[in-house]
Amino acid sequence: MQKVSFFDQIAKNKRNSIFLTIFVVALVAALVYVIIRLLFPQFALIFLAFALVIMVSHASISYRYGDQIVLKATGARPADPVQHAYLINTVEGLSIAAGIPPPKVYVVEDDEINAFACGRDPKHASIAVTTGALKNLNRTELEGVVGHEISHIGNYDIRFMTLVAVLVGLIAILSYMLLRSYRLASRGERGKGAGLLIAVGFLLAIFAPIASRLVQATISRRREFLADASSAQLTRYPEGLASALEKIKNINQGKMKVSESISHLFISDPNRSPLDALFATHPPLEKRIEILKAM
Amino acid sequence: MIEWIIVLAVVGIIALIVIISVYFINRIRILSNRIENAWSQIDVQLKKRADLVPNLVETVKGYMTHEQKAIDMVTKARERMLSAGSTKEKMAAGAGLAAALKTIFALAENYPNLKASDNFKLLQEQLDGIESKIAYARQFYNDSVLSHNNLITTIPGRWFAKGRTPHPYFEIAEAERAPVKVSF
Repeated sequence: MQKVSFFDQIAKNKRNSIFLTIFVVALVAALVYVIIRLLFPQFALIFLAFALVIMVSHASISYRYGDQIVLKATGARPADPVQHAYLINTVEGLSIAAGIPPPKVYVVEDDEINAFACGRDPKHASIAVTTGALKNLNRTELEGVVGHEISHIGNYDIRFMTLVAVLVGLIAILSYMLLRSYRLASRGERGKGAGLLIAVGFLLAIFAPIASRLVQATISRRREFLADASSAQLTRYPEGLASALEKIKNINQGKMKVSESISHLFISDPNRSPLDALFATHPPLEKRIEILKAM
Repeated sequence: MIEWIIVLAVVGIIALIVIISVYFINRIRILSNRIENAWSQIDVQLKKRADLVPNLVETVKGYMTHEQKAIDMVTKARERMLSAGSTKEKMAAGAGLAAALKTIFALAENYPNLKASDNFKLLQEQLDGIESKIAYARQFYNDSVLSHNNLITTIPGRWFAKGRTPHPYFEIAEAERAPVKVSF
């Protein structure tokens, strides 16, 4: 039955989280090594050790506090028990339907309709919904959106996606730093072999953000379809989510002020850009609506 | 040589049988625990709904002076709910309380002052929330029962389900399906 693929998905998410962490730690350590080789060749190994220690702590902080970092980055505030009683009830109800503990509920002050979930497992999870969603969506539509996020929590998508958000953000910053150090180094005097290192460093610096963005894009497209389907299974009403996505399509401008490195967490892409055909973190809304309506 | 192959084959087959048995016995146990957990979710919500009643009676009393019968009905339904022991009794008492509460909220339509009071609005929001949570908890319960029953009634699961019988579903009681009768 579909339960089997559900458990497969959990196992896959846990495995991918470990692979991703190892990959990022190794990649950043390699980047740091290249930078130091360029600037102070004699300290390269010491700095490599430093980089590894720092990266491992960074990874464990990302794992433990990634949800807090993401929530801070979006400016989410805890939902008010009286003012947002309705949202909290919806989230609690759907978490009961999914058989997971109730996640913490947050509200993001923004006119666009959007929502996301983050955390490391169902016991440490949060759901955030924009005020625009609360204002524009009716009961069944909000249930569909919350069901989608609850599904991300239930199958551990949030662990992987939160890690991607926090770790990928760092790659972008570090590769930017490397590009600058390359400019510095090319002016100074460099020994033999420096040319090769520069070339490698240059390639890494260019490809790291592209690679991370590609990873980000491919990981979340399939997930969105799966979470849509699970949401329909939880609410027993695919039309609710379909009509919410319809409203998102018509109302949203794609102009939320959130960092690119967390855009894949949202139910619909918060910033639309001309590059979306290549790097879109979300499948087209039309396609998702069509599938939900056919259920 | 031949003997060794036979011994190895026998050991292999026994090991395989043990592994498969352990898997299915654990799987049945896990699914049956999930049903218990699902029931406790319903139980929590049923209790929360019962806890809402004294507050509701307190709020409504001042406005609904001519509806003593309906108010008594809710109070009695709550007492029955709290004294219910078995799962079956709780399901029945829960349905009774739901019907009694529906009557109160239907009667409240005749009392604009009551409907406008903040306390009443808050109670209504809380009750709506609990009702939908009960519905979701029932859905999770029935889903859990379905996977459990499927496993223990189909081959090969049924070979390992010694003495286990299919669990009953949580049906919606007639009282809850029937429209609310309001007498004036």
